[in-house]
Amino acid sequence: MKWRLIFRDIVHSRSQATVFVLCVALSLVCIVAINSFRNDVRQAIIGDARALHGGDILVHSHYPDSPGLAGALEEILTDEGVDGLRTWEFYSVVRRADGKESLLAGIKAVEAGYPLYGQVELLSGGSLATVLKPGQVVVAAAVLERLGLEQGDQLLLGQSSFTIADVISRESLRPVDFFNFGPRILLSADDLPGTELVQGSSRVHYQTLLRLDDAQRIDELAALLQARAIPGQERVSTYATAGSNIKRFFDNLFFFLSLVAVFTMLLAGIGMQSSLAALLRGKERSMAIFRALGATSAFLLRHYLLLVLFLATAGAVIGIGGGLLLERLFLNLFATLLPDNVVVGASLADILEGLGLGLAVVAFFTLLPLSSIREVKPTAVFNKSVVRRRNSRERMVLLACGTFLLGGLVIRQLADLQVGLSLMGGILVLVVSIALLTSLLLSLLARLPEPPLALRQAVRSLLRPGNATRSIVATLASAFSVLLAIYLLQDNLQRNYIQAYPPDAPNLFCLDIQKDQRQGFLQLVGEDVELFPVIRARLTAINDRKIDPQVRPERRGDSLTREFNLSYRDDLQGDEEVIAGGTLYQPGRPDPQAQVSVLDYVAKLGKIEVGDRLSFNIQGVPLTAEVSSIRSRTRSMLYPFFYFLFPEQFLQAAPQTFFAALAVEPGAVSALENRIVNAFPNISTINVSETAAELGEMVNRLAVIVAFLASFAILAGALILVSSVLATRLERIREVVHYKVLGAGSGFVIRVFFFENLLLALFSAGSAVLAGQAAAWGLCHFLLEVPYPPEPVATFGFALAMVGMVVALGLLSSLGIIRRRPALYLREL
Amino acid sequence: MTILVCDKVEKDYTLDSRRIRVLGTVDLVVAKGEFVVIAGSSGSGKTTLLSILSGLDRPSSGRVVIAGKDITDLSEDQLAPLRNTLTGFVFQGFHLIPSLNALENIMFPAELNHDPAARSKALDLLEQVGLAHRQTSFPEQLSGGEQQRVAICRALINDPAIVFADEPTGNLDSENSRVIVDLLLSLHRQRRMTLVMATHSRSLAGRADRIIRIHDGQIVGEERPGA
Repeated sequence: MKWRLIFRDIVHSRSQATVFVLCVALSLVCIVAINSFRNDVRQAIIGDARALHGGDILVHSHYPDSPGLAGALEEILTDEGVDGLRTWEFYSVVRRADGKESLLAGIKAVEAGYPLYGQVELLSGGSLATVLKPGQVVVAAAVLERLGLEQGDQLLLGQSSFTIADVISRESLRPVDFFNFGPRILLSADDLPGTELVQGSSRVHYQTLLRLDDAQRIDELAALLQARAIPGQERVSTYATAGSNIKRFFDNLFFFLSLVAVFTMLLAGIGMQSSLAALLRGKERSMAIFRALGATSAFLLRHYLLLVLFLATAGAVIGIGGGLLLERLFLNLFATLLPDNVVVGASLADILEGLGLGLAVVAFFTLLPLSSIREVKPTAVFNKSVVRRRNSRERMVLLACGTFLLGGLVIRQLADLQVGLSLMGGILVLVVSIALLTSLLLSLLARLPEPPLALRQAVRSLLRPGNATRSIVATLASAFSVLLAIYLLQDNLQRNYIQAYPPDAPNLFCLDIQKDQRQGFLQLVGEDVELFPVIRARLTAINDRKIDPQVRPERRGDSLTREFNLSYRDDLQGDEEVIAGGTLYQPGRPDPQAQVSVLDYVAKLGKIEVGDRLSFNIQGVPLTAEVSSIRSRTRSMLYPFFYFLFPEQFLQAAPQTFFAALAVEPGAVSALENRIVNAFPNISTINVSETAAELGEMVNRLAVIVAFLASFAILAGALILVSSVLATRLERIREVVHYKVLGAGSGFVIRVFFFENLLLALFSAGSAVLAGQAAAWGLCHFLLEVPYPPEPVATFGFALAMVGMVVALGLLSSLGIIRRRPALYLREL
Repeated sequence: MTILVCDKVEKDYTLDSRRIRVLGTVDLVVAKGEFVVIAGSSGSGKTTLLSILSGLDRPSSGRVVIAGKDITDLSEDQLAPLRNTLTGFVFQGFHLIPSLNALENIMFPAELNHDPAARSKALDLLEQVGLAHRQTSFPEQLSGGEQQRVAICRALINDPAIVFADEPTGNLDSENSRVIVDLLLSLHRQRRMTLVMATHSRSLAGRADRIIRIHDGQIVGEERPGA
């Protein structure tokens, strides 16, 4: 009997039940898909930290090992149970043997035994150890594609020619390519000197990798090496402590996607609450009859709890299934961002996690509607009035418990207490603000002097008891504001960094020009090209206060502890202005007192002011200088600039290379690159406009992924709209019957519903535009520090689309009510 | 002069593929200005007949003609203006629009008819029924008797030729029932409107010009109490 009754109740309220099930499913789809996909990606790419980093202990530097560190490494490598090897990694332009095509590639010279952990898989199936013989290289497939070469052809690296022996199909130390300027080329360390690519001041990433048989000794040996390393210049880490750009990228991406998924879950939760409330409202008369016949409120609570559990389980199954299907779709969405070896699939843990999550969300969002069952009194049999919910202390306690549970859930999903609390708080503020704004607008509308009849009825309808006007507006506006903010942000990034590539901006950067190559280089590219000296150095102290590498004051992920490029010149560049200190350098200072002009960006980063003393370590040589001025720039980042600028006399003798930024006709870039590299194989060229285009593609792809997920939030908003129509179905039928009995045609009824949905849509769109614009402006202004054009046309188009969707959906879901004949309902009302 | 003709009207419902006849073959003619009571026990088919006569429901067969216009096959939208101006309806359950106050409820049909005098007419009617002081009250703030008086005003605002009333005192106590019946009859006399009322109240039926008795969906008798 119990289950038959539940089944009948569901069939009788199938519309509400369907919306409830869909909301449960929707709340889970994104979360399950993202959690499962994140696990799979971690498993494939970043799960094995040793394979990702290539050793137990990693020693990094941009300089050859200092004597102290070299000695310590030598001692350790004599230990039994310790293996080690060195690698040299840098970017350089490689060429076809005929010199007709060239390509910037990520070159890595490795000693025998590479890799200590993980694998370099070759297309032939052979092992790297046997293939990588002197005179041979293995390359990524992109090298062959872009240079038009085949396996067995010759490839020029610097002064040497190599045979392409095989193609790399996967490298566990470099699982994805999108972080790198150029495709991978591996060569034997023995061949490196012959290329003459590594010269004084060349930008090379030196790395020593160690493998220990005894894992217990890792921390001890790492500490020993760290003690002998030059702080700030040489970094010792273990596979457990080393940072990884790839790991950081995916962690950040999945974190952000989790935010969107949690947002969707919360919106779908509101839909759950609304549709369950609608279902229970339709059952109030039955419940009252049950009560009149002697059923206790506990009986009713048990009955509807079982019904909710049944529906929630159905929704969770659909949601988990949908999530796993969506995960497969992610493979397409993430294409080019992921290596081929990512295999998606559902583990039992993923499914159980999804189920637990779903039931917890359902528990929170159904708590209040279910608790109202206890308020149904048997007297409701005699009057047809709606059961009034009272704000009892019990409801407040329930709400507080539910919020605590939900907060815990969100924090667990995001794995970040601060962000979790901020998200909950932010959503609460957003939703409450929009709800308050809606209330204000509604009360203003209600005070309008004599609006047309249909409009007046529409306003009254929005204020009808049980109408979820504020919930609908808040939910739709929140969902749409997120989408709008994403769109505006993506568009703005495109405009600032990619599309708005200034016509006179340099599009070919040339790096690592040696001192003795200056004349020849200028003859090749033109005497009017400016060469910027580049001296690599670290900032060690501000006003004798040492910069602690452990304390990293960061801004946009930047830090004072990193290596900086210093330069020297005696005048400002065309796009620079002095904003503090009056002139670039202070005249009349005695020669021994070095001066330095600091760019405003780094001045903010280190809270540096004019008159401060900055200490630098220039490749082992200390230099202290007083800050003479703070500079600011008026053009985009595409023009060359230096954070620290010295008078020439102080850096002239420092080890240095030169950098040139050329503005070349786009069609002539390739040919010039070839000429430069053929003449000076050690010089690296970067086609900046091409790189910007690649970056643009990646930004677009990421935006598509985020927008795709955010569209689920729109779906949640649409479900809430439908559930609200269902929740107020009786009231709507009553209104329609009254209108018709009193002589209104269906045209009038449609006009009332149209105005009602139009007002809903306008409130939602208006709020979404306000919130979305504010969010995008805030992100651009405070986080990205780029100009913010509000894009009025696009915003208007967005709002129009939203209004169209809401009006269409609202009218469609009310059509069934409009068509009813009045006599059928008069007896029931 | 005839205002309402009901010619061989039948009404069937289908339930689980079974046809259930709720109204047999009904023939009825009502003269203009007449007060007709349709009397019968609960479930006899009074409300169904009233719904069909007023155009709120459609017969399965037969014809209904009001003021010379055959409404049987009219669509909902064709019926709408007739409901608005030709007929008025008073329900047992009042059926006031909850979101409108008393005055707005009464004005509503006139406003649908674009009547610029809607407000003054509504105020006059409220005055007549003694509810001028309650004009801004919402239905939930009115007693049953007051709600029914507002509903009567609403039914009359467009000066309909015929008013249908379905158990108008069914939800009221005896004192309020007396007030409502007196009101309806005085308005009927004042305005010379036709009144067709469904009721099972013998005392109310006794004040009609004619009583049509209905049982199991069939007219089983007719009498004229005053005769």
